[in-house]
Amino acid sequence: MLVRYIATRLVIGVAQLVGLVIAVFFLIRLLPADPVSRLVGLNPSAEAYAQAERQLGLDRPILTQLLHYLGLAPEEGPGLLQGSLGISWVTGSPIVEEIGRHLPVTIELITLSFLIAFVLAVPIGMLGALKPGGKADRGVFIYSLFAGSQPEFWWGLLFVYLFFFTLGVAPPPLGSLSPLTSPPPEITGMITVDALLAGRPDTFVEALHHLMLPVATLVFILSGPIIKMVRQNMVRALRSDFVLYAHCAGLPRWQVARYALRAAMAPSITLIGILYGFMLGGAVLVESVFSLSGIGQYSVRAVLSFDYPAIQGVVLIITGISLLIYLALDLIHAVIDPRVAY
Amino acid sequence: MTAAEAPMLEVRDLSVAYGVGRDAVRPIDGLSFTLRQREIVGLIGEAGSGKSTAALALMGLARPPGHIVGGQVAFEGRDLLAMDDEALRRIRGRDIGIIVQNPRGALNPMLKVGRQIGNAYRAHNKANRGDGKRRAIDMLRMVGINDPERRVDAYAHELSGGMAQRALIAMALSSMPKLLIADEPTSGLDVTIQAQFLDQMWQTVQETGSAMFLVAQELGILANYCDRVLVLQNGHIAEDAPVRQFFAAPQQPYSREILRLEQDTAEGGIASGGTVKAGAEPLVRITGLVKNFPIKGSSKVVQAVHDVDLAIAPGETLGLVGESGSGKTTVGRCLVHLTEPTGGEIRFGDRNLSGLPATALRQMRAKLQIVFQDPYDSLNPRWTIRRILREPLDLHTELSRGEKDSRSRELLEMVGVDPGLIDRRPQGLGAGMLQRLNIARAIATNPSFIVLDEPTSVLSPRAVVGLVDLLRRLQRNLGLSYLFISHDLTTVRYLCHRVAVMYLGQIVEKGSVDQVFNDPKHPYSKALLAAHLFPDPGQRRVDRQDRRELEGEIPSPIDLPKGCYLASRCPSAKPECQARPQELTILPDGRSIRCWRVATGDLADQEGLQHAV
Repeated sequence: MLVRYIATRLVIGVAQLVGLVIAVFFLIRLLPADPVSRLVGLNPSAEAYAQAERQLGLDRPILTQLLHYLGLAPEEGPGLLQGSLGISWVTGSPIVEEIGRHLPVTIELITLSFLIAFVLAVPIGMLGALKPGGKADRGVFIYSLFAGSQPEFWWGLLFVYLFFFTLGVAPPPLGSLSPLTSPPPEITGMITVDALLAGRPDTFVEALHHLMLPVATLVFILSGPIIKMVRQNMVRALRSDFVLYAHCAGLPRWQVARYALRAAMAPSITLIGILYGFMLGGAVLVESVFSLSGIGQYSVRAVLSFDYPAIQGVVLIITGISLLIYLALDLIHAVIDPRVAY
Repeated sequence: MTAAEAPMLEVRDLSVAYGVGRDAVRPIDGLSFTLRQREIVGLIGEAGSGKSTAALALMGLARPPGHIVGGQVAFEGRDLLAMDDEALRRIRGRDIGIIVQNPRGALNPMLKVGRQIGNAYRAHNKANRGDGKRRAIDMLRMVGINDPERRVDAYAHELSGGMAQRALIAMALSSMPKLLIADEPTSGLDVTIQAQFLDQMWQTVQETGSAMFLVAQELGILANYCDRVLVLQNGHIAEDAPVRQFFAAPQQPYSREILRLEQDTAEGGIASGGTVKAGAEPLVRITGLVKNFPIKGSSKVVQAVHDVDLAIAPGETLGLVGESGSGKTTVGRCLVHLTEPTGGEIRFGDRNLSGLPATALRQMRAKLQIVFQDPYDSLNPRWTIRRILREPLDLHTELSRGEKDSRSRELLEMVGVDPGLIDRRPQGLGAGMLQRLNIARAIATNPSFIVLDEPTSVLSPRAVVGLVDLLRRLQRNLGLSYLFISHDLTTVRYLCHRVAVMYLGQIVEKGSVDQVFNDPKHPYSKALLAAHLFPDPGQRRVDRQDRRELEGEIPSPIDLPKGCYLASRCPSAKPECQARPQELTILPDGRSIRCWRVATGDLADQEGLQHAV
């Protein structure tokens, strides 16, 4: 039952990805942009232009390009089916490698941020719900209004000013490690994990130190909506008939709270998952402020330089990850709430 | 006064408020009464009068955002409202149990019902999880759930309404409370199960010296099980009387109003909307009606209706009764061709409806109307009453706009609704009022026949009385014929001339109301009437020696038995009943019956007719 459900979802997911790849492939080519002239510069000779065009493969019919990209013409070189996302038109290195370098940075950043935001926001939201209109509840309301109303890069800059420049407790916003430290051998791409794997606790601590401000910024931004959501769902759960009846049955207070929390968690989990998928590409401003070369930065660069294979690769990978996250969420949701059927 | 005579529950000036300050409303305001051991006290009141709020407040609880603002609830001498939370928690569920309305909402949707019942039990008893589960199985078995070992692992959404109701009862009784507060505990249950549960509770109260506070909408429940009746009005008790006195000489205008029909009937007043001319040609005649519903992915069918014959004379009301699932509603829907019958003939006047083309059928609908069970669902909430009433006039008449308007106002007056409400929307009007609007819409085109599909089942006692009055008056004034579908035999007795009893898609007995109600012949009719709670404290079910009941479950309408459909549950069944299909036979006294033993005189009268109502 469960296996079949997962298999079905995966098959549907792959179909969605194929559709997406083809759509993105054509949509990019509708852009009023000329990647060739971008590559050869202004006023090129006709031969140089033609040669660059041939080099990028843009001289061939568009369907041939698509078949090549999908890997249905393996004699011309590897495509998607062979596990290749193509070669970057700007750097000349394989896209898979480039994404493999940038994606872990973002994943590390936002996973850590979400974990901390979750751990902080759920109890705070619950507290607010237990005493709606109380001091804690009002404080949280003002905070979430405040935190959500200003863009994250602004908070990032404020944090840098406060914690690095004024208080000096944070490192400068110059990447994942100080420039003098040699990074641990790359295994997962996430520096904290790699440092632990390489047995270098000092590097691990340093990486965490460098993650401190970007994570704090994201936690600050993310906690607002999560707290609100948890609070709202918790208030609703506490007013539900089955919680009232749990009181009628004389259940201990902690058990009543557990009944309500479980009912409140299911929709909150969904929101958190959706936010996570969104942040994969949306953390770009925080990445910029703290000079982290994550996937957001990478995709912005790819778009600005008309690097079609890179854009396609980023869209494909982020969508794929999002689909997997949604699947996982639906499974978690079904575990929490038996009314959800596979 | 000895300890045993001291009141178990003493409520003084209890008040519950919603909102604060000047805007606060107090649905419960100065509620006072006492409840003794071995006593069952019934609470009745209008819809929205705060009965459920009162029941909860006895637990020291109020549905948020309401709160208890004053008074005392002394249980065995200790004031619940002055206790600390932990002491109160220990009493809730252990000493005082409660069954609330909306059982499915009261069950935690995320936990198996067995776990919930176990948790409730373990909150008051030293027990581990295994003990809790065993207790849950025992309790589920006690409340009559088949296969409790499997049902403990069900979630609330996997249970039917009646099953969820019983699971909630099991939870409320899990610690054997001394006081049970029951808020319409049997509203989702069939009559036979309702009677079984209330019998059981009555017996428990008598044997263990506990007590029960029973919120009820049905006069029958009050009359049959309660020792005292309380009437809740304006948030406090307006009348507090022993049950016989309440039914014999009600004091309050409200009590007199809801008991009026019952007293009329007892005094032999007009029991219906007029007399029917003997030997008149029937207005509606159904012959051999069959309705099957195909099952997806199977060649089998659900046999909802099987070989039903009915005839209704002009100005006559025919009652169609039976348990849920007996096919009553399907007959009504086939009659007005809302669902196409699988077989049989339906004649209206001199025309055969089955052969009519769609346009002719639509024209016939002006004369052939239906009123549904749920008044909320059958009126478009976005339309004004003016538009609702104009719709049938637009379809079936050539009146001008002004004429339609005056006709709409006239209709509202006919059904007793203030014509000044014509520009309101249905929202916020009570169920009784909405049902009147449904009737107004049904009679807009001057029909001669109306199918009434359980029109009173969601109404409060007062609204039922009003609606019965209205239906009778319309019948007298307009000469209407009704097919009155209902499981409420009390209302059927008030309204009908003749009655047909259905079981599993067949009519098992058909005769005059007097014949069927006072001298039922078919074993199923007997059981149905024995289980029904008539609002007459002189004939209390609990005082009867023999409470005839049907055993077992209704067979599935997919795999019907070969012989008599009732054979597996019938107390008078003989081996040959299993194999012998039953025919509807007309007896010398004019009634029809589908039981060969009765028809041939094989089933003697002494096998238990004396105790019938």
